[in-house]
Amino acid sequence: MIPLSWYLILSATLFSIGLIGFIIRRDLIVMLMCLEIMFNAVNVAFASFSYYNANLTGQIFVLFSIAIAASEAVIGLAIVLAIVRNTGINHSDEINSLRG
Amino acid sequence: MNPAIEHAFFIYFFVSLCILSIAVIASKNIIHSAFSLLVFLLHIAAVFLFLNAEFLMIIQIIVYVGGVLALFIFAIMVMNIKEELRHRRFVRFSFIGLAVSLIFFASLFIFLSNVKSNQNVLTHSDTTLLGKLLYSYYLLPFEILSLVLLIAVVGGIILAKKSPIDREGK
Repeated sequence: MIPLSWYLILSATLFSIGLIGFIIRRDLIVMLMCLEIMFNAVNVAFASFSYYNANLTGQIFVLFSIAIAASEAVIGLAIVLAIVRNTGINHSDEINSLRG
Repeated sequence: MNPAIEHAFFIYFFVSLCILSIAVIASKNIIHSAFSLLVFLLHIAAVFLFLNAEFLMIIQIIVYVGGVLALFIFAIMVMNIKEELRHRRFVRFSFIGLAVSLIFFASLFIFLSNVKSNQNVLTHSDTTLLGKLLYSYYLLPFEILSLVLLIAVVGGIILAKKSPIDREGK
């Protein structure tokens, strides 16, 4: 049987890769994709805790997390689309109109 | 199941998930990273199947691959980004972000490497039980979630549509 720590290390690795991508990429869409990677890593951790504790609450939390991730993707892409349409910028370090 | 085959499949999924998520970050073309994300999400669904969560696997494929990823690809096509091939991909101080994330991963690894778990695992998946739990004990969060999804749909449409001033100008 695969131990619990392997699943948790898988989850931590994917979360760290998503975090790296969210910090260092410039495109707004790829940043949203990295957010999806981080959501999926957390979902794997929830499902593995649900499996190793014989408790279905973790799977219900994964359901909630998937729904929140879907609504987050909708709102985020709408904001990115509005930014690109209004300013023509699709890079995160060029948005500086609120900088003093 | 034979434990050696189980370990081999888990190692395959670990390595391919790492490679695919790095491909999402590192590819130059945005549409290539979208397709890497597609294969990544399917592999995550397979990991859910490992954990006896068949309902979650179906939901993962329907919602992520059918919904969110189609939304990403439509957004990429609507924005029509072409100049990305010439521009640089990373921010200026990207090595600092890399160092911070690696420190984060190292601390998580030290914390997680000797986790103990008890021996009574979830033996078989029971979607009926999941539905009963969702509609009895978690009924109020479920209803709140439906409201959140409704607000997200309405907010997405309002944010992404053209303002009436722009429409009269054109």
